Amino acid sequence: MTLKATAEMMDRILREETPGKYSYTVSESEKQELNIENGEFKLLRTVFGSGASARVFLGTKTGSASGNDITEEGLRKLVGEATAAAESAGEDPCHDIAPNQGKDVFIQGVTEPDMDRFIERIREFLDTAAKEYPKVRIMYAMGSFDRWNRITRNTNGTEFEFHGGRYSFSVEICASDGEKTTGLDYTGVITAKLDTPFMETGDLRRHLEDITNSIDAKPIEGKFEGTVILTPGSAANFIEMLVNNYISDGVIINGTSQWLDKVGEQVAGEQLTVSLNPYDERIVIGERATGSGFRTEDVTLIDKGVLKTHRLSLYGSNKTGRPVVKNTGFDLVVGNGEKTLAELIASVDRGLILGGFSGGQPGANGEFSGVAKNSFLIEKGKIAGAVTETMVNGNLGEAFRRIRGISREVLCDGGSVVPWIAVDGIVISGK
Amino acid sequence: MLHDVIGNKISLFSDGVQTVLRGQENRNRRVVLLKGNLVQNSRSEARGINARVNDHGTFGFASIAEYTPEAAEKVIRAATENAGALRRHSGRNVPLPPSKGTGTIPLNAAITDAPQKELIALCRTIDGYIETTYPDLTSRTVVYSEDSQDRIVCASDAFCGHLVTPRCYVYVMMSAETKDGVPVELFKAFGGFGSFYDHFQEPEKLYPGIDLLHKQLMDKKEGVYAEAGYRTVVLGGLMGGMLAHEAVGHTVEADLVRGGSVAGPNLHRRVGSELVNMVDFAHSYAGGAAPLPVFLDDEGTKAEDAVLISGGILTGYMNDRESAEEYGMTPAGNARGWTFSDEPIIRMRNTCILPGKNTVEELIASVDDGYYLINSGNGEADLTGEFMFGVTCGYEIKNGKLGRALLDTTVTGVAFEMLKTVDMVSDTVEWSSSGFCGKKQPMAVGMGGPHMRCKIMIGGR
Repeated sequence: MTLKATAEMMDRILREETPGKYSYTVSESEKQELNIENGEFKLLRTVFGSGASARVFLGTKTGSASGNDITEEGLRKLVGEATAAAESAGEDPCHDIAPNQGKDVFIQGVTEPDMDRFIERIREFLDTAAKEYPKVRIMYAMGSFDRWNRITRNTNGTEFEFHGGRYSFSVEICASDGEKTTGLDYTGVITAKLDTPFMETGDLRRHLEDITNSIDAKPIEGKFEGTVILTPGSAANFIEMLVNNYISDGVIINGTSQWLDKVGEQVAGEQLTVSLNPYDERIVIGERATGSGFRTEDVTLIDKGVLKTHRLSLYGSNKTGRPVVKNTGFDLVVGNGEKTLAELIASVDRGLILGGFSGGQPGANGEFSGVAKNSFLIEKGKIAGAVTETMVNGNLGEAFRRIRGISREVLCDGGSVVPWIAVDGIVISGK
Repeated sequence: MLHDVIGNKISLFSDGVQTVLRGQENRNRRVVLLKGNLVQNSRSEARGINARVNDHGTFGFASIAEYTPEAAEKVIRAATENAGALRRHSGRNVPLPPSKGTGTIPLNAAITDAPQKELIALCRTIDGYIETTYPDLTSRTVVYSEDSQDRIVCASDAFCGHLVTPRCYVYVMMSAETKDGVPVELFKAFGGFGSFYDHFQEPEKLYPGIDLLHKQLMDKKEGVYAEAGYRTVVLGGLMGGMLAHEAVGHTVEADLVRGGSVAGPNLHRRVGSELVNMVDFAHSYAGGAAPLPVFLDDEGTKAEDAVLISGGILTGYMNDRESAEEYGMTPAGNARGWTFSDEPIIRMRNTCILPGKNTVEELIASVDDGYYLINSGNGEADLTGEFMFGVTCGYEIKNGKLGRALLDTTVTGVAFEMLKTVDMVSDTVEWSSSGFCGKKQPMAVGMGGPHMRCKIMIGGR
């Protein structure tokens, strides 16, 4: 049965079983995944997937169910579960689906993979790494080609088809010299093209260089307040925490956000512009439709340090009376600055280049505390060596208000576009 | 629950390789009430079949989202072809691990399914209790979350069986504000192995735990930042469990040992004080069931306990069949996959630091100036054993007595150094089983520990 026929069957079942509004998605997918352990090809994995989900409304009550049995019996059971969930829910007029967005077909990335070329590129990366970075151990690497077809519709008339495919390649690395070993580091890229060696894509080469230079990491003595230069990976992590902590549905609905009434106000350094831009050509597979059925739009959350909007779903918008944001992905694009990374480093009297942050999601007050991973000490404008057993403490909101500079260079890994960001006032402590 | 459509497919396995066929269903039920608003109300089920073939160290895996005899035949063919295809690219040629016996492991439990309306009613009852009893909160969230694995495993030269792992929890999160308007939060999980009716028929049984959580939150409202530095602390049992899992457990997973973890050169060496003993329990603990019992893994290995640290000496790793051969150990059933589309990898089961002889009160009374760290919101560790745990609930200890509560802080250290500072261990163990371990795939795991007096780096402001 074709996916369109499955969608028609789902539509028919929903019409038969439920009198009100609904939305649904049916999908099929295939994954070809090569797993490498300690530099050796270890496992080839093939996953044939299918799926269906339905959201049913009974008046202002709603429930949803999902599963992977797309036979008629399976779909009937799924619709029954969603309907039963809706019957049990309380009335809440804030639940809704997007108004009619029309019909569209979105085709993204690669539909026919070149697996031989993909495997060649992976082997080439392993050979290059072994030759140029002999102290690096590729503990684990994974190359995956993922392909999918998806149809989503709702009773307001929206009908979207999605067809796409992408390659992804990721590594877990450490480095050793005799009995000295570093900790773990991770990086990866998403791509639709195989025209560039993986070593030259994303941030792969820099990670191999940095882990090689981390073998003699030393603890910092004492404690000081200094500047932290967030690498693009760390910066993306901190910005995601910022979004969750200050402008997402949960904290706006329950009123615990410290940026509850800050839209239109300066909340960060004026160098900072944060957008979610799925249509940016550097994003390989950007979101095209939101969870509630809107066509996705590019959105700027922070413009030159000014908070432009909270990031509310349709439900969050209806609940709070604030604008909905038609973007539920995280296709992060952060505006670059004017200084080079070298100039940023040279401007720091004492601080860290923070390659990774091992810490949890900060509490509602924004306080964060964690271990600096894959990080380097900066003293008098120069990199003074890798650090270990070093903690960083601060407050998310304060940190982004105290931006010293943003690099001209940006990292594009297929899923985000992010520069290096230097922030002042972070407490850095060692033993 | 699954009916067996794969057991008679063993005849299709190829000779000269090791094949495991697995049929599996994962179920999820979830209800979220945010300040009384039902913001999530969902159910999901994913069912399918996979096969994994070991062709002398090169593995082929295939899965399909169908649960039929035809799907079983398709994945056996695809996995066998994948192993053969990869072998042409790979230089691996590893002897197949020997069989450790064959047989059938009996079904261990049943999964019962409660209708969604009962899950919502439970959450509303609990939410109503909190709203009525504690109007001083700025926000509250009540979550019902249930997941289950239902697996049928058929192995070419190992054990077969039909096993289930249902678990369900209610999470309660509370928020309040300090006098300066700064938000503070705490959460607690209730529940464990089993289904809705095993744990939540009488919601009022949760109220004492909710009351304690509220008291701790009110203490935290008046809390202070910890004084940063290398301090004597009493780690609570939940923190001990986090340490066992994150900081030690991962470093002794054999695939990470092979990758260069600190446990490699430390086998048979001292990694903790004589008071430190650690075991990854399979299905039983102290004469009863372990929090999340595992009787059979996804390679067909009959599950047994894996002793990891004995008297402070590192004695073993957690293995799959191949790594056990490599390290001269016995596989104990640690190779597990989360859904039908996940290949088995080395995972923990119920990892625990064993109890000692002191009471909790004795540990606290023994500290002149330090901290009592009760609960953690998160934790991470590295191959080197360097760990970080967020501390969400803790108190000062002054002259052997509990003092002011702590605001959120973080503790760090290097596991095999920190464990050598353990000089008192309590006679009771606290377990948690509500979380997921992340390592390529999620996995439900239990972790437990006693209270321990030790020295640790604590972060302040």
